[in-house]
Parts: sequence; structure tokens; C-alpha cells
Amino acid sequence: MVRTALEMLLGDRLKYVGLVVGLAFAALLITQQASIFSGFMLRTGAWIRDTGQADLWIMDRETEFTDDRKPMLDSALLRVRGIDGIDWAVPLFKGYVALRLPDGRRRNVRMLGIDDATLAGAPPEMVEGELADLRRDRGLFVDVADAADDLALRSVVDGEGPRPLRVGDHLDVNDHAMTVVGLSRRSREFFWDPLIVTTYQRALQVAPHERRLMAMIIAKVAPGEDPKLVAQRVERSTDLAAYTPDEFESVSTDFVMRKTGILENFGITIALGFVIGVLVAGQMLYNFILENQRAFAAMKAMGASNARITKMVSVQVLFAATLGFGIGVGLAALSGKVLERTGLAFHMNWQIPVYGALGLFACAWIAALFSIQRVLRLDPATVFKG
Amino acid sequence: MKLRRLVLPLLSLAGMAVAATTVISANTHKPPAPLVSEPARSGFARRVAGAGIVESASENVSVGAPVSALVREVRAQRGERVAAGAPLFALDDRALKAQRGSREAALRAARSELARLEALPRPEDLPPARARVDGAFATLEHARSELGMVEALIDARAVSHETVLQRRNAVREAEAAHAVAKAELERLEAGAWEADLEIARASIDRAQAAVAELDTEIELRTVRAPIAGTVLQLDVRPGEYVEAGSRRYLVLGDLAWLHVRADVDENDAWRVKPGAKARAFVRGNGELSTDLEFVRIDPYVLPKRSLTGDTLERVDTRVLQVVFRFPTDALPVYVGQQMDVYIEVSEAAGAKAGR
Repeated sequence: MVRTALEMLLGDRLKYVGLVVGLAFAALLITQQASIFSGFMLRTGAWIRDTGQADLWIMDRETEFTDDRKPMLDSALLRVRGIDGIDWAVPLFKGYVALRLPDGRRRNVRMLGIDDATLAGAPPEMVEGELADLRRDRGLFVDVADAADDLALRSVVDGEGPRPLRVGDHLDVNDHAMTVVGLSRRSREFFWDPLIVTTYQRALQVAPHERRLMAMIIAKVAPGEDPKLVAQRVERSTDLAAYTPDEFESVSTDFVMRKTGILENFGITIALGFVIGVLVAGQMLYNFILENQRAFAAMKAMGASNARITKMVSVQVLFAATLGFGIGVGLAALSGKVLERTGLAFHMNWQIPVYGALGLFACAWIAALFSIQRVLRLDPATVFKG
Repeated sequence: MKLRRLVLPLLSLAGMAVAATTVISANTHKPPAPLVSEPARSGFARRVAGAGIVESASENVSVGAPVSALVREVRAQRGERVAAGAPLFALDDRALKAQRGSREAALRAARSELARLEALPRPEDLPPARARVDGAFATLEHARSELGMVEALIDARAVSHETVLQRRNAVREAEAAHAVAKAELERLEAGAWEADLEIARASIDRAQAAVAELDTEIELRTVRAPIAGTVLQLDVRPGEYVEAGSRRYLVLGDLAWLHVRADVDENDAWRVKPGAKARAFVRGNGELSTDLEFVRIDPYVLPKRSLTGDTLERVDTRVLQVVFRFPTDALPVYVGQQMDVYIEVSEAAGAKAGR
């Protein structure tokens, strides 16, 4: 029976290919958009994952995402250090500063200030220079991607044409002279402004004078302690929020989704993928079944039950959907490789192919059930007419 | 025919394979950067953290200049141990020394004036005065004899009544002149008046005080060590102009022990008990640490100073200051350096809320 069904399907090559291609297109649309969406969402937490030294992120309760600045009192650090289960805790500065490049251009960039002693919170990878170089007088790190793009020199400076920013270049940060002492590499983030890294104390000197300057505290919990329990302890004994990296990431992601409407945007595209899948599969199957009406009628005349015919059509549509899905998801993965090079967010996790496949199968099958109605109501006598 | 049928399934399989590799390689966690130095770890199960600053056992004594002047000489050297009272630096005192001559002359003049008064009467003044008394007496005798002559006449009509009166008056005048001359002689012989002597003595005292005042002023131009200790900071050089009370020119401290003053947030202050055990960690190397000996809790909770190195001081919260000490040679740290301090306590933060 399965063989007959497949022979029927493969027999009409044009419709077969059309069905597979239509479903492949739907699968491509669904998985690619879902991957781009997941890629964007992942980027909102890129900095948190890059700062893997931290077990806990402690900040003002009003802080909503990674680049939010609701600074705390300096003394909060001392209080956190005194809480049971905290192994160590160091401050972080994060805030916007005005940067002037050697070619005279001005950019607003984010400045990250990390603990002077331990340099905890440093970017995960150094491309040029080493971490300890940050202790050099007025030193700062620039991300290698920013150095080649946003912070590159656009015009001729000291007889050199346009070139990326490099170690040894002098920058003005809020009118404080600073020097690039290293190029680092971090994961690409959702927020696009360049990030410069310096030490905490230096960041405080450069930052505009405010009473509160410490944006966040990162902490390690003592071995054997549950970060979630320690976080609860922190929240109970101070008026601060304490998150595990995963919690902080979902807080940031929620904020971005809420504020940007990015979820609705991608949601619509993905839904459109499913609709196209249903329409293409429905249309093709309908035509296919209409054309093979006589064959189905003959089967019915030979005693095939409606259930059997439904099974046959289901086999046909699931076979086509499997082929279509494989091609579509493969194209999506390939497009991801290409898009990644252009800097677009793309992240295909295992849920995307699995749920994409299930969704596509469901759509195709629903379409098949609709198309089959005509055959089910068919009178076997048709075969003997005209 | 068969081969053609395999095209789509093969494409589909290839697509799934690509997707699978994409999924597997999608995990993008980068290993975090290593810590450059060990962070400070307390070693106490329950503790309060404090921001510590190293100071000398005597606290750091900022020595200023008592007066604004040019620096003549700097005796102290950085790191030198000086005794209490040792000269540290000297200010220009030439103008004061120049005044000393005239003040001493004034003192000498006052003393001479007293000596002059005490030596009175001047012997040379006496003979003329005595001679004046004798002269007045002679004149009196003469007047008396002339009066006697006219009074001795038997017949009063021999001379006019007017002549008699004139001669009587002449006697009286001569008597008065004689009395004056005698009194003047007595005054001369009595020497200086006691009140004048007293004034002269006061003048001496005043002149002496003026000299002593100048000496004090000159002495003030040499700045001396108020305590025995080590010169921690020296920011003065000969030829520079220092201003009284404006800033620290020299910091002195007793380095017999090092003290570390730990700021504890007021929210945690209740947890710290006198005599608590504590440990201090060197910033930049959490492996360097030392046990601390409790010294005292400063009884005044004061606004925290953010040690940002900025000239603008930011006050955020109030802190309790707890002072500990450790032997000077226990750690390679210096006065003024910041340290991480952990103080052992028995109660957890927010213990009440936790129950």
C-alpha cells in the first residue's frame, strides 16, 4: 500500500517536485526566520555569557537589561562581600562616554570598567596585547570588530590613510586622554554601540561625576553553594537584585522583546511560513488528488476503505514534507553560514528544526485532510462512468 | 529512472546533515578570560567586608608650616626616622634676625635708663645746688641786717615808713628764696623718684619681651617633628614658598606597627563586635594576606569617602571605621595603600529577615 502510494506520488513528477519545493520553501522560511530571531535574542545575552567568571549578577532592582545604568552606592560592594556564600565580588562600571578618535570623529561608546586587581569581567579573548596590559597608565581595550568598523580611522592621520584603530592610538574619552593598549574580541551583541574596556577606578575618573557610579557587581559563589540560594540571600539582606547568568539573560531578553516588538515581527514571518506551507501543500495535493480521482475511485471500487485511502494520502504528504523539510532546513542552515559573514544574527538551536518539522508536518497533513474530503465522498461508480 | 528518483531524497538528506552540523556547532559559549590575580577570599564563614586603608600607628601626621615663608633648608629625608623635636625644615628668617639688633639695642637703652635713674643724684649737680643754698642764705642774712639797721633806729622818722616796709619784704623774699634753694637741694639729694624707677623697670621688661617674641618667631621658622616617626612624604624643597595651613608639606608617621582602617557600611555596622578577628588582603594579589589585631572601633560613624583619587570627594553612605593593626614587616604594603579587609562576625547579613 505504501509502495502504491509512493508510486502514485512519484508518477506525476511535476506535481511531486512542486509539492516538495513548496514545502521546502515553507520550511526554509520557518527555520531561517526562527534562527535569526533566536540569534538576535542570543545576542542580548552575549555579554553575560562572555563574562563567564560570574556566578551571580547583582544590580539595582530597576535594572532591566545588560546596558541599563541604574548605578548603586559604592558600599553595596562591601555589603555583598559580607554575605554568606559569596566567594568573591567585584564591581563593574558600564555607561556611555563620548569618544574622540585620532581623525577627529566623535562617537558615543559604551565604557566597561572592570576590577583593577583581578580584571574579572574582561573580554574572553585578546587579539593583541594581554590582559595585564590594561593596568598600563590610561590604557583601554577596544574590540577588534569595532576597531575595524565603527572606530576605524576614516581619513588620513599622520600620513596614513584610512585604517583600523590599533594598539598605541590615543583617544579622548570624555576629554581624558587614553591609549589603546590591546585589542580584544567578544561575542557580537544585540546593542551595536562600540564597547571600550578599562579598569574600574579609571572608568570612575573618566565618567561624569555622579554620586553613584557602580553599575553592577559580579560575584562568584563559594564552592558547594547553590547560586540561586546565595542570590536569594543577597536579595534578602540588601535592596538589590541578584541573578544567575541565565536569569539575567532572560531578564535582558524579555526587556528587548518587550521594547522592540521583535517577537511580533518574527512571529508574523514564521506564521507566514506556516500559512505558505499549508497553502502550497493544500493546493498541490488538491490538484494531485483531483487528477488521481479516478485511481482513488478504482481503489474504492476494489474495496479500499476510506481509512485506507486517508493513510495512503498521509504517507504521500509526509514523504513529500520530509523531503521538503530536509531541503528547506538545509538551505536555511546554508543561508545562516552566508549571513553570519555579513554580521546578521543567526543561531539554529535544536528546537528550531524539531519544532519546525513538527509544525510543517502538521500543516501538510491538515492540508491533505482538507483535500481528501472529495475523494472520501466519492462514489466508486465514478470509475465506470465516462 | 531510479537515479532521478533519488535526487530529491538525497538533497533532503544533505540538507538535514547541514542543519544538524549547524545545530551542533551553534553552541557559542566562549571560555571566560582568566582572572589576572587571585581575588581576596575571607576564609571566615561569616564576615563583614571593609575597604581598608593602611596608615601608621600614630595615624599620619601632616606637618604644615606655621607661617608663610620661603624655605631655607630641608633637613628631613624621605623614609628617615626622626626623633621628636628634630628639625625637619627651616624657613627664611633673615628679616627677623635683622630686627633682633634693634630690639636688643632698645633693651640696652631701657636698662641704661634704669641705671641712670638709680645713680641719681649726679654728684656734679650737688655743689651748684649747695652753692645756691649758700647764696640764698647770704642774701637772706644781708636782707636781715639791712632790716635790723632801720629797726634799730631810735627815731623812726629817720627813715621813711616805706623804706622799712621794703626792707621787711626783702627779708621775706630772701627767706623764701632760701627755702626754695634748700628744697631743691633736698630733692636733688633724694635721687630718682620711685615711680620713675618703676616705669624704667617696666620699659626693660617690655624691651626684653620684644626680644623674646622675636626669638620665638625665629624659632618658629624651624619646623620640628611633633612625634618620633618616619618621614612618609616630603613635598618641600629649599627655595619654595610654603603657605601657613594651606596643605601638607611633610607627612610623619610611626611605623612601629601598621594600622589598617576599615570602612564598614553602616548597614553592617551592627554585626561587628569589638575584638573581632580580621584579615587584610593585598589588592592585586589575594594570596598575600595577614591576620589583624583589633585596635578599636572609632565611635563616630562618618560619611564614606570614595577613594577615586579624584579631587572631588563624593559622599554616598556613612561608614563605621574599625582600626586593626599588623606588624610592619608582615606584608609588602605601604602607608596609604588600599586593602580588602574581612572581619569575622557571628551573625549573617540580614539574619533577622532570613528566619
